[in-house]
Amino acid sequence: MLRYLLSRLISSAALLLGVLFLVFMLLHLTGDPVSLMVSRYASPEDIEALREELGFNRPLLVQFGDFLSGAFQGDFGSSFRYRQPAMDLVLQRIPATIELASVALLMAILMGVTIGILGGSNPNTILDSIARGIGLLGQTIPTFWLGLILIIIFSLRLGWFPSFGRETFTFLGLTLPDQSIVLPAFALSLFTTGQLARFTRSAVMEVMNEDYVTTARSKGLKKKRIYFKYILKNSAIPLISIIGVQFSYLLSGSIYIETIFSWPGLGSLLAEAVGTRDFFLVQATAFFTSLVVIGLHLLTDLVYVLVDPRIRYR
Amino acid sequence: MKTLKRKALLLGFVGCLILSLLAITGCGRPDAADDTVTGDEVPAESVLRVALQTNPNTIEPATGDTRTASNVAWSIFNSLVWLNDEGVIVPALAESWTLSEDGLVYTFKLRQDVVFHNGYPFTADDVVFTWERGRGSGITYRESFLAVAEMVKIDNYTVEARVEAPNAFVLPLMNEHWGILSKQYHEEVGEEGYLKHPIGTGPFKFVEWLAGDRIVLEAFEDYWEEGYPKVDRLIYRPIPDTATRFAALINDDIDIVSNLGPEQADAIETAENVSLVTYGQDRVFYVAFNNMSTGIGTPIEDKLVRQAMSYAIDYDAIIERLFDGNAERISGFIIPGNLGFDPSITPYPYDPARAKELLAEAGYPDGFTIQMAGPAATYTNFEQVLQAVVGYWAEIGIQVELEFMESGKYWELQANRELPPLFGDSWSAGTGEAYPRLIGSVGGEDASYAAWLDPVLVEMIREVEKTADSVERGKVYTRIMQYMHENPPFIYLYAPTAFEAINNRVKNYNPRISEQYFLKGVSIE
Repeated sequence: MLRYLLSRLISSAALLLGVLFLVFMLLHLTGDPVSLMVSRYASPEDIEALREELGFNRPLLVQFGDFLSGAFQGDFGSSFRYRQPAMDLVLQRIPATIELASVALLMAILMGVTIGILGGSNPNTILDSIARGIGLLGQTIPTFWLGLILIIIFSLRLGWFPSFGRETFTFLGLTLPDQSIVLPAFALSLFTTGQLARFTRSAVMEVMNEDYVTTARSKGLKKKRIYFKYILKNSAIPLISIIGVQFSYLLSGSIYIETIFSWPGLGSLLAEAVGTRDFFLVQATAFFTSLVVIGLHLLTDLVYVLVDPRIRYR
Repeated sequence: MKTLKRKALLLGFVGCLILSLLAITGCGRPDAADDTVTGDEVPAESVLRVALQTNPNTIEPATGDTRTASNVAWSIFNSLVWLNDEGVIVPALAESWTLSEDGLVYTFKLRQDVVFHNGYPFTADDVVFTWERGRGSGITYRESFLAVAEMVKIDNYTVEARVEAPNAFVLPLMNEHWGILSKQYHEEVGEEGYLKHPIGTGPFKFVEWLAGDRIVLEAFEDYWEEGYPKVDRLIYRPIPDTATRFAALINDDIDIVSNLGPEQADAIETAENVSLVTYGQDRVFYVAFNNMSTGIGTPIEDKLVRQAMSYAIDYDAIIERLFDGNAERISGFIIPGNLGFDPSITPYPYDPARAKELLAEAGYPDGFTIQMAGPAATYTNFEQVLQAVVGYWAEIGIQVELEFMESGKYWELQANRELPPLFGDSWSAGTGEAYPRLIGSVGGEDASYAAWLDPVLVEMIREVEKTADSVERGKVYTRIMQYMHENPPFIYLYAPTAFEAINNRVKNYNPRISEQYFLKGVSIE
């Protein structure tokens, strides 16, 4: 187990490094941001001087090395636009994204798993067709379109929710979002809902055909007991990996959803940073999201060993 | 035994997950308003809520890099002078000023009744400090401060600004970018601290800035202008998506929105609680010709060819089909509302026959092939506009290879003069005069974004700079307009219409054609 953990940690670090390198190179392919940092009336000499000062005229690999050595010490450079340390800006946006991702995940689990169970345990019925339909729809509806439709129906027509932004209140010393989170979280959750519904449905169907379920039935066990003790419990195993992966996807921040709902999270920050070529800010955001994604994947694999007795790591 | 351990671990993990989710998400809105951390619960009649289309990078005039940022900044700061709604420079923190006979020394008498938001008095030291700091590298509008060669404190309430050569734009530049900072406060908190919690002498004082979420200001009770501001609290909310901005206005979540599209404008006309505000923007869209690098030796160096290309385009059809008629034809870089605009100079008409004649006269009866570039996804429908233009040119035999590029890369190439012989872009002005876009685009070798060099034109622009009297300056502008019409360095496409909308409770909102607005006089009924 320890050896496995160690090798996974090393490969995760290598992956993180690869992602950072890729992001760095792609960013620099678009040129350097100096021309966007000065006014349109700056002289060519001024632009060149600033380029020199910020080190953008050095070889790319040297710049990447500099970035890495800074990152190791927790220094991700300063955002050009905001004139503040890039990681500070990222950290300011994290709570909003965690809130949104958590509520969206909770919604997705509640809706997706329920729909999946209903469909899977009643195969080839109308209920099953509906479940499959919802599963497909959830994965195919474009989120930016859905976001706007939700705003039109639930804020403009019905007036149930605000049309944008994040409103908060304090409860037991914690800052929590109010109903303003419902629409963006729902829009964000739909893809995961669809995926969970489809996976739960096939997992339930698969388990229902297992020998031990047939045995339990022939032994005359009560339906309810078979259902909860055998079918649901065993169907849940593959879902753990899906939920882990999906949570990392939700946490990396949704550019579309956060932009449409003006949700002040990582996604909207990243969209803005890319648009303004704020290199260090993009790199700091990329570092954080890759760390979360890679970390959650690792965690998911480790949790697996706890729930599935067949799996042993050596 | 092992199974038990496993179960306990699993239970622990799930428990932690649920607890952390609960802790983060909470479960509803409490009744007590005191628990609310944000500022929306003060009485509605005194709060003005304004949507911003982008997140300001800073809310200080010398570093705020967009019009959005500077609009917020000018709620917090004042300059020495102010350009009023009539386009006249009037006193602000300087109660009066004089200009020496040789045009080189401005002497400002400062107001003595002004304090900063934290109570520090405003003195000559703050003006000198603001000038010094503005000249530093990394200040976005450094040129505005470099325009003044020396700033000298005469006494606590008198300063002298010395320039190297007479420059008609010293006061407009001060109005545009010189937000006066407190020297003492800057020494205490440093540059980063100042930008995080800015202190000025303006009508509103800074309360909080939640990144990406809102900027909250409140009325400054000791503001020096009697009777201002008219609202108690001012809340800016960044809403990048146009459709969401529109929804927020209709839903009564926001009082003022700008940068709407024509499609939202139509919908607003039927809504009850809101009104549409439209005006022609001080921004020209054009196709530039390059005679400084890539265009050297190509047919576009010939005046007749450029005239022919101007005649070949059906501008009205472009405006009608791509903008539903919501844009104005222009006859040059000096447009209605700019000093020196001459209505007798009319836009090039659509006349393909005349275009072919001119082309033949220039020695290209069968046309030619040339390259052109445009910025991608930067301006509304601009790609389609350029494609249409290329189509019209093809009809007179000019084949154009058009390429679109990511805007950041595009402007970098533009600054390095590496774009093809033809390229599309736009330029705003901001001061009520066309000078900024003239000096920037045809101002000579020193102008970073200039692609066209015409010594006659450069000479006339220098004359504008030296002419302090605005009537005389207007006459120079008219001559420039005439010259640029006959010797077009650009294809003049159109000036777009700006669409904004306000809640009907909002009174006295008067945006300027430069998309600039001041909120101190805006009230809520």
